[in-house]
Amino acid sequence: MDALLLEYLPILIFFGIAAAMGVGFILAAFVLAPSDPDPEKVSTYECGFNAFDDARMKFDVRFYLVAILFIIFDLEVAFLFPWLFPVFEGNLFAFWSMICFLGVLTIGFLYEWRKGALDWE
Amino acid sequence: MLQAAAFYVLSAVAILSAFMVVSARNPVRSVLFLILAFFSAAGLFVLLGAEFLAMILVIVYVGAVAVLFLFVVMMLDIDFAALRQGFLSYLPLGGLVALIMAIELAMIGSLWVSAETAQFALRSPTPEGVSNIEALGAILYDDYVLFFQLAGLVLLVAMVGAIVLTLRHRQGTKRQDVGRQVRRTREESVEVVDIKSGEGIG
Amino acid sequence: MLEIDLGHYLAVAAILFTLGVFGIFVNRKNVIILLMSIELLLLAVNINFVAFSAHLGDLSGQVFAMFILTVAAAEAAVGLAILVVFFRNRGDISVDHVNMMKG
Repeated sequence: MDALLLEYLPILIFFGIAAAMGVGFILAAFVLAPSDPDPEKVSTYECGFNAFDDARMKFDVRFYLVAILFIIFDLEVAFLFPWLFPVFEGNLFAFWSMICFLGVLTIGFLYEWRKGALDWE
Repeated sequence: MLQAAAFYVLSAVAILSAFMVVSARNPVRSVLFLILAFFSAAGLFVLLGAEFLAMILVIVYVGAVAVLFLFVVMMLDIDFAALRQGFLSYLPLGGLVALIMAIELAMIGSLWVSAETAQFALRSPTPEGVSNIEALGAILYDDYVLFFQLAGLVLLVAMVGAIVLTLRHRQGTKRQDVGRQVRRTREESVEVVDIKSGEGIG
Repeated sequence: MLEIDLGHYLAVAAILFTLGVFGIFVNRKNVIILLMSIELLLLAVNINFVAFSAHLGDLSGQVFAMFILTVAAAEAAVGLAILVVFFRNRGDISVDHVNMMKG
């Protein structure tokens, strides 16, 4: 079991480097940047006016539709990975079973195409 | 030893971030903690030897579902302070239900015993000497073909449902129709009119 | 303590499940966090399935966990779609007003 875990050591090192870089940049900004706060300097300022509203902006609902379609096809692709093994062993039933699965999702794809869910008007 | 350390770190992170999901003030932070919880759970799956599931969890959940949640949180322009109003008044009831549930689960967990015949009732025993994804591929598409096709139908219904629910075409916007553009002929778009001088088309 | 067996994983899954139920009861106003709590419940169930699969040496638990992941993703997609439509018609996402969806 420990041998299996050691195979994941590169990922751990990768995370370590990523975390060290992130923390390092933030700390460097704290230490190196000149800091002389003043109530006028740190107040919100927008071209001579006080800030009108929140910085949060509403997204359009079409982004949501694109994300949905991404999820569905992401899962479809995830199911494709283990399919390699039976197919290369020549398992015809597994092959056609996956083709049927893809066919069902193609119907959905055609539906959204015809409905114009992919258009950006 | 290494395994125990990894288990305790991953499960502690998973539980703490799950707690932050339900108690964070700002839904954006909730989503980010949900991502952390899923990531730690993927680590637990690796510890259990389910490497393919861990990969799917990272790709599908961290990569897609959490992004979808983030979109929706950003898309809805909501007064998040107002949503927190009932938090304290519901806290005793929620705490009580959670406590009772935890006690029940602990009782089941401590009294549970495995049946002696369990090892003879295995549906698809884990084969020796093949990787996790290969073993899954060997059974997923023929032993479990019915569930596999049902999963496809579930995805189809989700796709159609999401489109039917959220797709609204705005009135009055001009849309491009490639087919019509290509089929356009000279006869239907250009008209030659013979105009007498001094009269106009009128 | 250092030997990790089935019981440890079941304990983690039980705690996650309890936290999910707690989240559903506490966040009565915010449907987004409610949906996230449901995702946590499904994650706890998945941990149970995979832990038993590893314990018994039976792959069907992992296959089932894959289908649960599929259904959970579809559920999140449709649930959030309903939420978007509800917000568009209503202007807020409080659960108290969801009963106007009937009919």
